[in-house]
Amino acid sequence: MLPKDETTANVRTGQWEDALGYVAVHQDKAAYSELFRYFAPRLKAFGMKMFGNEQQALEMVQDTMLNVWRKARLFDPSRGCASTWIFTIARNVRFDMLRKKQSRKDDISADDLWYDGNYPELEDSGSHQWDTVLMTEKLAPHFERLPEAQRLVMVKVYLEEKSHQEVSDELAIPLGTVKSRIRLALDRLREALDDTRS
Amino acid sequence: MTHAVKHHPGIPLLEQYIEGTLEADIALAVAAHIDLCPHCQQLCQDLTAEQGLQLELTAPTSSMDSTDFDGMLADILAEAPLEPSATTTKQATHVQVQLKDKTFTVPRALARLVKQQTKWTQLGSIATNKLPAGDKRHVSLLYIDKDTAIPQHTHKGLEITLVLSGQIVDEQGSYGVGDLLINTPDDTHTPRTLPDEDCLCLSVLSAPLQFNKGITRLLNPLQHLFY
Ligand SMILES: [Zn+2]
Ligand SMILES: [Zn+2]
Repeated sequence: MLPKDETTANVRTGQWEDALGYVAVHQDKAAYSELFRYFAPRLKAFGMKMFGNEQQALEMVQDTMLNVWRKARLFDPSRGCASTWIFTIARNVRFDMLRKKQSRKDDISADDLWYDGNYPELEDSGSHQWDTVLMTEKLAPHFERLPEAQRLVMVKVYLEEKSHQEVSDELAIPLGTVKSRIRLALDRLREALDDTRS
Repeated sequence: MTHAVKHHPGIPLLEQYIEGTLEADIALAVAAHIDLCPHCQQLCQDLTAEQGLQLELTAPTSSMDSTDFDGMLADILAEAPLEPSATTTKQATHVQVQLKDKTFTVPRALARLVKQQTKWTQLGSIATNKLPAGDKRHVSLLYIDKDTAIPQHTHKGLEITLVLSGQIVDEQGSYGVGDLLINTPDDTHTPRTLPDEDCLCLSVLSAPLQFNKGITRLLNPLQHLFY
């Protein structure tokens, strides 16, 4: 067996989703504190990168984590991971903070841009039609340029011919992440091919 | 709406949109496209999950960090969670736009801004309605009657057009509902509508159009109608 991708090996799947569930149902302060201690310092690092300013980064952390506490009921585990939900809150908070600083009324807001509800379910678009063309010479250079995480999954699925489940187990990432990385990689390749055609 | 969307923003733009680093008025056009495009809805879901994972795996600020996280935690826990009624998931709601006794449907992302704006400026077979969303760029609804050509023009800046109803045809191809046309500075084209169908689009412009030919150059001083 290949060594696990070390960046993902230590993620226990389900841990934060469970914690958010306790917060949503029981306003569980212990579960929330655990979430807070994990995510607040990471959000601060994210905020520092985005704002380049500690005061604003902390304002973003506080606002984001307050929303996580107050709106935990809105988290729907069937739509994605807890970290995804927390990321979207942080992104929206940051966006609205930046807009407010420019003091505009009636302006584009995070609520306009990012829809936090369900679009109708989609059929998982089959990737089988790609199997034959995928490794042609034309595609190889684009394949090399895929983001590392996506390329790794593609290599395992298309070159080592592993099942999605096997790749999920091997890399210790959720099955959904394997599928979504394949979709993203295929779309990048599709775009790259379109560009070379035109 | 049976038309399959053919022209997408592409992954680099979607990525910036998901990160929240794309400029707001361009992001608005991308968001409206996504409302109309199941393909990009799926990609965005995937890209958002990747961002979430990145946040989860990011290194926290160092132990040297003197931030009073305990104080912040205590402040937050002192607040009451929102009532269930305040935390029901939103439904995607589009709005109807009335123009020339015709009703158009405008996607969710534009609903709030469009509701605030009802004033149309009309010139011949073209009408515009500027949305209160402008920064550097002008964001407007653009109505073009059937069988109408916008005279050939060159873009002095970025032009993003999202077709909301009907079709637009230009030298590059044809664009239906949900399709996103992105023209970069110095692109030249002559968009037109079909002989039997009018068209409504969202237009995001970073600079006035420049009309190139003969008498249409007289339109150049009337820029504000298109801009
Ligand atoms: Zn699309
Ligand atoms: Zn144009």
